[in-house]
Amino acid sequence: MTAYTSRPAGSRLADMLATHAQLLSIAGFFLIMVVIFSVMSPVFLTTGNLLNVLRQAAPILIVAVAMTFVITTGGIDLSVGSTVALINALAAILIQFGIPWQAVVPALLLIGSAVGAAQGWFIAYQGIQPFIVTLAGLSALRGIALLMTEGFSVPIPGGIGFVQIGRGWFAGVPAPAWIAVVAAVAGFLALTGMRFGRYVTAIGANQEAARRAGIPTRRILLSVYVLTGLASAVAGIVIAARLGSGSSNAAVGLELDVIAAVVLGGTSLMGGRGSILGTILGALTIAVIGNGLILAHVSPFFTQIVAGAIILLAVWLNARVFSRLAAGTRRRT
Amino acid sequence: MSAERQGAASAAPDPRISMRGIVKRFGSVEALRGVDLDLHAGECLGLVGDNAAGKSTLTKILSGAYVPDGGEIRVNGRRVDFRNPADARVHRIEMVYQDLSLCDTIDVAGNLFLGREPMRGAFLDRRAMRDGARAMLDRLEIKIPRLDALVAQLSGGQRQAIAICRAAAFDPEVLIMDEPTSALAVAEVEAVLALINRVKASGVSVVLITHRLQDLFRVCDRIAVMYEGVKVAERRTAETDLQDLVSLIVGEKHVSKAAGAAAGPGGAA
Repeated sequence: MTAYTSRPAGSRLADMLATHAQLLSIAGFFLIMVVIFSVMSPVFLTTGNLLNVLRQAAPILIVAVAMTFVITTGGIDLSVGSTVALINALAAILIQFGIPWQAVVPALLLIGSAVGAAQGWFIAYQGIQPFIVTLAGLSALRGIALLMTEGFSVPIPGGIGFVQIGRGWFAGVPAPAWIAVVAAVAGFLALTGMRFGRYVTAIGANQEAARRAGIPTRRILLSVYVLTGLASAVAGIVIAARLGSGSSNAAVGLELDVIAAVVLGGTSLMGGRGSILGTILGALTIAVIGNGLILAHVSPFFTQIVAGAIILLAVWLNARVFSRLAAGTRRRT
Repeated sequence: MSAERQGAASAAPDPRISMRGIVKRFGSVEALRGVDLDLHAGECLGLVGDNAAGKSTLTKILSGAYVPDGGEIRVNGRRVDFRNPADARVHRIEMVYQDLSLCDTIDVAGNLFLGREPMRGAFLDRRAMRDGARAMLDRLEIKIPRLDALVAQLSGGQRQAIAICRAAAFDPEVLIMDEPTSALAVAEVEAVLALINRVKASGVSVVLITHRLQDLFRVCDRIAVMYEGVKVAERRTAETDLQDLVSLIVGEKHVSKAAGAAAGPGGAA
């Protein structure tokens, strides 16, 4: 006997269910939410409201796609909400300054990426905990926005093409939703099918192993934070264009919604396992909960409590019930 | 040091690998205190010594995972400077790490091709990866039923087999194995030893670190003994025995005590 002993293969169906248990559970949870809210409010399932949900969800979704890459490496980016506020305020200030919006948009995307690169440098090349670096970013970046606006909301003139980024419609769908779709498709292809996504997963699973395999781990780590910076810039532009103003108070707490969406979708906070499809469903679930509670005339003071409870319930179901049902044989979670 | 130069196939003037005066410090600890080591084509060199003797550190320097603080490495007579594992890979030096260095959440084929994925345009060529992985595993007679299984789902033996296969499959000139049999059952150890003999026969130089001294006599041509960061002895396998090795490993003082004990199970990992 000179061959390795191999165990008998289990049922393929059970294995497939186990692999996708998290995705199936968040999909199921999303559908349950949709059913509940459509019963509670006749307006919920109308096309107009659903498109509204999509438009509301777009900034969260755009940032969550990038955040999925960060969390898959085993990192976290707490600074996204503040980066959105910074870009949001800068957009209004620069346009009011008289700079053409066609030049402002690429400049903002560049600034967002640079903010991400700066944080990524501390994380990847200086070995500082992502939590600490981006916590500092969370504080400092919104501080810069406050300093620039002095706390006031800066209006953006409505006549220019810029506001179309947030308010326009193409083929019956709001422009922000289109941007989110592009981000989600690009993220899905990159994470599942391209070398970059494979390396991001490998770093999250075992960073030293990835380095020993010749993967440029530092460069990849830095670039995922560039991605969240870029995505935050896009979200900041979309929000500024939709609201027609820039404010340092934009997107307060966005980082929590984004992280909740990613975790709801089954991406592991420990790294090594990420799902863009799950993130999309997670972001939509959060948007649906927010929208549905308003339509159901739940007191706005209650909505935060209910949303928090629902998210905890979903993650708990995901971790304890669905995955165990689907995968009696799974070894590691 | 280089007294024993007539290894299995050393017709070439230069040894394939030649390490001279290698020094490595971790803080105040001098892990390696000037180690010389030669490795010829098609030979298997056993590297033994107590825990913390510097075996793993020395091999990690050869694989580029650590950068030495002093000394020089020559590959086929040419001086090289490894800054990272990728540099060593370019010179066809592959290592099976003690911790296996696998990514649990990536499938078998993905782990085998980690860092050198075949591409089709901008996308991973999954078919080429699967077919290539199957061929690699078949060549080394390793049985893994499903290549799309995540590595986390495999047994310890299968995981070790994948780590060995990954290192052996890309035509290495030097294959370093750091305790490849530590976690294996009896049948699996036999398979690894057979595998070492097979790759050796194809001209690969093998460095084997192990605490299982009896294994050394089945695959190694030479055995180097390390003690506290220096190489204290080098023996040709044919000219030594278990008793001799044990006394070299533990140092002359403890021979009478330790020889009897270690001759049995072969020491703990």
